[in-house]
Amino acid sequence: MAPGQKMYPRATVKKIVKAHSKCNVSKNADVMMFLDYVLFMQTLVKEAAIDAKQSGERGISARSVKKATADTLAKFKG
Amino acid sequence: MADSAPNNGRLAPLRTPQALATPNRRAISADPSSNRLSASARRNRPNTPHARAASRAIDQRRTALFTPGRVGRRRSIARERERETPRDLLRNLSRVLAPTSTALSSSSSSPGPNSNNDSTLQTLMEEGDDDDDFPIERPRFSLPLDRDDDDDSDLKPPRSSILEDDNYTAQSIELPRRAWSEMPPGRLDRGSFGSVRMSDYIGPEIADDDNDVGIDSGFFPPPALDDDTGGLAMDESAIFERMDEEARRQTMAGMDDFGPIEIPEMENESTFMMAPADSPTRDQTVTEGLEAQDEDPPQVEDYDDDGNEPFDIPGLQDEDDVDDDNNQELLETTIVSQAADLPAHRARRKKAGKKISRHGIEYPSLPQGVVKRLATTLAKTAGVGKAKISADTLDSLMQATDWFFEQLGDDLSAYAQHAGRKTIDESDMVMLMRRQRQTSTSTTPFALAQRHLPRELLQELRMAVPPKKIYRKRQSRQAEVEVEEEVT
Repeated sequence: MAPGQKMYPRATVKKIVKAHSKCNVSKNADVMMFLDYVLFMQTLVKEAAIDAKQSGERGISARSVKKATADTLAKFKG
Repeated sequence: MADSAPNNGRLAPLRTPQALATPNRRAISADPSSNRLSASARRNRPNTPHARAASRAIDQRRTALFTPGRVGRRRSIARERERETPRDLLRNLSRVLAPTSTALSSSSSSPGPNSNNDSTLQTLMEEGDDDDDFPIERPRFSLPLDRDDDDDSDLKPPRSSILEDDNYTAQSIELPRRAWSEMPPGRLDRGSFGSVRMSDYIGPEIADDDNDVGIDSGFFPPPALDDDTGGLAMDESAIFERMDEEARRQTMAGMDDFGPIEIPEMENESTFMMAPADSPTRDQTVTEGLEAQDEDPPQVEDYDDDGNEPFDIPGLQDEDDVDDDNNQELLETTIVSQAADLPAHRARRKKAGKKISRHGIEYPSLPQGVVKRLATTLAKTAGVGKAKISADTLDSLMQATDWFFEQLGDDLSAYAQHAGRKTIDESDMVMLMRRQRQTSTSTTPFALAQRHLPRELLQELRMAVPPKKIYRKRQSRQAEVEVEEEVT
C-alpha cells in the first residue's frame, strides 16, 4: 500500500462485523480484523493465481477466484 | 659431562622448532592486528600432515570463494584433489612399471576401453574371433543403467496418495479432522445464493446467454407466460428448496448481488416479460415476410382475392418490404433496448449495497474500490502477469469478502460470548488469528501488521493491544529461562 492512501473505511468494517456478530466491537479491534482480511485476500489471490496459471490463463479470472474461495475460507475458519 | 654435551647437541635441534614456534605465538599475543591481515599469516604452522592438508583445503576454499574466476579455480582444486587419491598413486605406479610388463587380454564379458586403447595384437585377434563366432550382437551382462537417463519420460514421478491437492499446509492436513459443518461445501451452502458456479445450479450465467442471443433463449418467463403452472412453478419449487436448505441463514435474497432467486420476480415485472411476448409474433412476421418475398405470386394472388387493387403488385411488394424493414427495425430497436436495459438493470442490482445479516441487521459491504486496490496490489506481489482485475473477478472477490466477514463475525462472536463478553476485543482477534495459523510463536501479529498495514494503523495497533504484550512477555520469559538453563 502506498502511503498517504486511505486504507479502508474503518466504520464500514466495524459495521459489517457488528451486524454479523451482534456484538459490539472494541475500539481498535477493527485494525486486526482488517489485517486478517488482508491476509485472507493475500491467500485467496495467491491460490487463485496458482489455479489460473495451472489452467493457462493470464491474470486472474473469476472462475479461479471462485475455485479458491472455498479452500481459503475453510483455511480461515477460526 | 662429556656425554651431556653431545646430548645437548642432540637436543638442541629438537628444541629449535619450538624456538621457531615461540616467536610466532609471541607475535600473535603482541600485536594481533598485524597477524589478522591475512588468513595465511594468522595460521599457525601445522605440525601434522593432516592438519596441513586441512589448512590447505581451507585456504583453497577461501581463495576459490574470493577469486572472481571461480569455476576454473574449482576445477584446479578438483584436479589437485584427484592427484592425491590412492588410485592416482596406483596409476603412477603402473606407468612406472608398464614397459616391463605385458598387457593382459581381459577374458571378461566386455572388453573395457582401456584394453581397446592398448590395441595389442591379442585383443585384435580376439575381436576377430568374436566377430566370427557371434554374428549376433553380444548380449550385455550389465544392467542398462545409462539408458535410463534417456527413458526418463516414461517413468512417472512418485506421487503421494494423500495430498493431491494444491495446498500442502497444516490446514489441509487438518481438514479431515474438522467437523462436517465446517467443511467447505457446507460453508458455501450457507452463504451462497447460488452465485458460485461450482454447483450445478444454474444462475445468472443464462442471463448472460440471454443477453447475447437477445430473445430466443427460453429461460426467462416465456414458459411462465405460456403456461403459468408449468416451467415457472418448477423453477420456483427448485429455488425454494434451495432456500430451505440454507434455513440457518435468513438473509434477504433479493438484496444480494446476483442472486438468481430474484430473477422470476424482477424480470417478470421489468424488461424481460416484454421480450418473449414480442419476439415470437414478430419472428413469425419476419419469416412470413421472407416467405412472401420468396413466393411472391401466390401471396399476391391472395391479396388479389382480398380485393385489393390488382395493378399494385410492385407497390404491394414494396409495402411488404417496408413492413419487413419496419419489423426488423422494430426488432432491432427492441433488442437494443433490451441490451441497453440489461446492463443498467445489473448495475442497479450490483449497487444495492445493503444486506441483512442473520441477526436482522443491515450491513454494507466493503467498497469495491478498496477490494480492487488490495487485490491488485496482492496480485502484483503474487507474481501474476496481468495484475488487472476484471469486473467478474471483482464480483467474485466481493462475494468472497462478504463470506469472509460473515465467517469472521460468527467466529468472533462465539469467542466473545464464550468469554462472557458482549464486546469483541483484540484478544478475540489474537485468538482467531492464532487458530487460523496466521500467527505463531515465530510470527507475532504485530510483525504481520508491520508487513501488511500502513504506519498509521500500525500505531493504533501498538497503542491498542495489551493481550499481545502479555503474550510477548511470556515468550521473553521463556527465552530467559532457556538462556539461564544454558548458562548453568
